[in-house]
Amino acid sequence: MILGFQIIAILFALSMIYFALHAYKRKELGKGEIISWEVLWGGAIIIIIFPDLLRKFSMTFLITRVFDLMVIGGFILVISMVANSYVRTRRLEKKMEELVRKLAIKGESKKKKEGRIRK
Amino acid sequence: MKIYIVIPFYNEERQIGKVVKSLAKYNLPVVLVDDGSSDRSRFKIQELRFKNETLLTHKVNLGKGAAMKTGADYAFAKGADAVVFMDGDNQHKANDLPKFINALKSGKYDMVFGSRNLGLGVPLVRFLGNKFASVVASALFGIYVSDSICGFRALTKKAYNKIKWDSNGYGVEIEMVARTGKTGLSHVEVPVESVYYDKVKGVTALDAFGILLEVVKLRLTI
Repeated sequence: MILGFQIIAILFALSMIYFALHAYKRKELGKGEIISWEVLWGGAIIIIIFPDLLRKFSMTFLITRVFDLMVIGGFILVISMVANSYVRTRRLEKKMEELVRKLAIKGESKKKKEGRIRK
Repeated sequence: MKIYIVIPFYNEERQIGKVVKSLAKYNLPVVLVDDGSSDRSRFKIQELRFKNETLLTHKVNLGKGAAMKTGADYAFAKGADAVVFMDGDNQHKANDLPKFINALKSGKYDMVFGSRNLGLGVPLVRFLGNKFASVVASALFGIYVSDSICGFRALTKKAYNKIKWDSNGYGVEIEMVARTGKTGLSHVEVPVESVYYDKVKGVTALDAFGILLEVVKLRLTI
């Protein structure tokens, strides 16, 4: 029997599949990305419905409850995603800074050149 | 020695004109860096039609450190041997400029730090905050500058190439001090006067906390 908690988790996973598809249709995600996300959330739904699939796996890591394994897995996933997006944001910030600074200096040189031509 | 003055500013329409006017008598090239102001600061400068000034504009607000870097890059590319940084909020007085120029021209120092103190118009809370930052910098980087977060400072081209900073925000001043300590550049302090016109601007308590985190980060990275 599926518990209330599982229903909520399935609804959440389904809505995430919908958002991923929506982003793909708006060309915000590539083919590789949409496949990865759909596999991830599809896999999550299967595990939510049949948690026993992970029992053997959890025993290997000496984790008694499947739920604990899922929580740990979730944490690892979230932390790695946060770290990844932090690095990407920093890289973007750096690129933007360089661009804005370059434009400021270039803009001034251009103004001076135009001034000289007018004279 | 070719010395440029670099003034980063952000939303300083009330003070920036006064700052530039006060520098006119020194006849030095001035580089003004508008860090993405949303007020009329840049138009104010254009209206005043100064002769020795160059205005660089950041399309978006990046922070004081980035604006200082833009100004310094521009000045050194134009042949400057040294630059003097001043704040755009008119808290620094042009009368103190000769102290920096003399120290640079003496050829003995790569860095000249302005130092504000209680007798020269600094509120007690800020003074204590400055001292705390100085003590922390001294403990972590082996360099004591009595006012390590004063924006009135000067550096030579050689120093700039050695200590080019990464901080974009208010952490830039402490990073300059830290890198000066690390690289062993010769430095000196000169007393400067300071007047605070706007209590809501400048370094806030939150900024101070950010600077503290920056110091810890610097200790781990440089």
